[in-house]
Amino acid sequence: MEDVKAYIESGILELYVLGEISAQEKAGVEDMALKHPAVRAELNEIERSMELYAAEQSIEPSEALRNRVLNSLLTNLSDDHTFPARKATEEQAKVIALPAAKPNSFYKYAFAACLALLLVSVAALINIYSKLQTSNEQLLAMSAQNQRFSKTVSYQQDQLDMFRDTAYHMIRMKGQAKSPASSMMVAWSPAAKKVMIDMAGAKLPVNDSAHQYQLWAIVAGKPVDLGVFDMKPDSTEAMKTMKSVDIPQAFAVTLEPHGGSVNPTLSNMMVLGQF
Amino acid sequence: MSKKRQISLSEEELVQLLRRREKVAAEALYDMYSASLYGVILRIVNEETLAEDILQETFVKIWQSFSSYSADKGRLFTWMVNIARNLSIDKIRSKDFRNQNKNQDIENNVNLIDENRSAVYKPELLGIKELVNTLRPEQKSILELVYFKGYTHVEAADELGIPLGTVKTRLRMAILELRKHFN
Repeated sequence: MEDVKAYIESGILELYVLGEISAQEKAGVEDMALKHPAVRAELNEIERSMELYAAEQSIEPSEALRNRVLNSLLTNLSDDHTFPARKATEEQAKVIALPAAKPNSFYKYAFAACLALLLVSVAALINIYSKLQTSNEQLLAMSAQNQRFSKTVSYQQDQLDMFRDTAYHMIRMKGQAKSPASSMMVAWSPAAKKVMIDMAGAKLPVNDSAHQYQLWAIVAGKPVDLGVFDMKPDSTEAMKTMKSVDIPQAFAVTLEPHGGSVNPTLSNMMVLGQF
Repeated sequence: MSKKRQISLSEEELVQLLRRREKVAAEALYDMYSASLYGVILRIVNEETLAEDILQETFVKIWQSFSSYSADKGRLFTWMVNIARNLSIDKIRSKDFRNQNKNQDIENNVNLIDENRSAVYKPELLGIKELVNTLRPEQKSILELVYFKGYTHVEAADELGIPLGTVKTRLRMAILELRKHFN
């Protein structure tokens, strides 16, 4: 028991009671206390004396502290008793799943629609443009036709006026030796100083391209050129205005080389009419 | 001792009630030990409001971790006072507390504690003085260092400039002196 006595007297038991030793030493002391009742008894004495030491210098805490401390203990206590199986119920935050973000196809469709509309519009525009072109052409053609008509009408009106106008003298030129079947009317107005020939009513052979007919007026015994004209089978001209002349004695038509001649070729005189 | 104990039980009874977490156990625990524990805490931290907070903290810890106490390893009070001492020493070693109380000489501190205490708690003054006087100065200072300042015996040896063995012996002598006093 010398060892035990030395162990007790080493002071380690005091340190043990004061909690001032390592965990390893602590286990050693507890082991010794189990094996040796003397160690156990010594420990108990030390503990008791330290407890009495504390009791000797005990100080009453304030009266209010008792309730404060007991409340903090018993709050836990009541929790423990009232809700023995209480588990930390997690306050599960309400999670509302956001609707899965739809692929935003609206703009795709809108874009496609716009594109389609654009294509249709362009097609329609081209179509309408071509129709407009056609219409314009038709309109131009019609207006041209209209102009022709009005021209024709006014021309015929002119002709009618001419025939009604008493100032016009109608001279019938008759066929000569070269072409006895030919005839032609020439109208002359001394007031208007106008000479016109009746192409529609003329009876003259069709001339070739190398020759042209030439109208002459005989003024004071001399032939005066009044211009050239052609006889064509498809001619639509009714009356043709020729150069003017002052006081003609007679009118005649000769067949001359293309462009006319300065003096008439008398052998080629087709028709002649005296005033 | 002017303790007005409302409930007093034997240690075995109290331990059993504490294990069952009875309400009466909490009350008995407080009534039986609050003054002793508060005395130790106040001597360590030397500040009443702080000491009360630590006392509350101590009881909460005792209550909550009571399952780790085993009667085989020692008395209930030893276990409890070590909880109180550790909480108190942690507090005075924390930065905040140190900043408030710039390093003070150990001896001065002891005197200061005594002066402060005597100023406020006159009824206890006599008993403490008497107790302290039974200890020799070197026994008193080793007890102060280890018990109230939380020095390890290695630190205490350094502080006092004495061998480790002497620290242990002195501490033992101081406690033997206390034992004699109480017997």
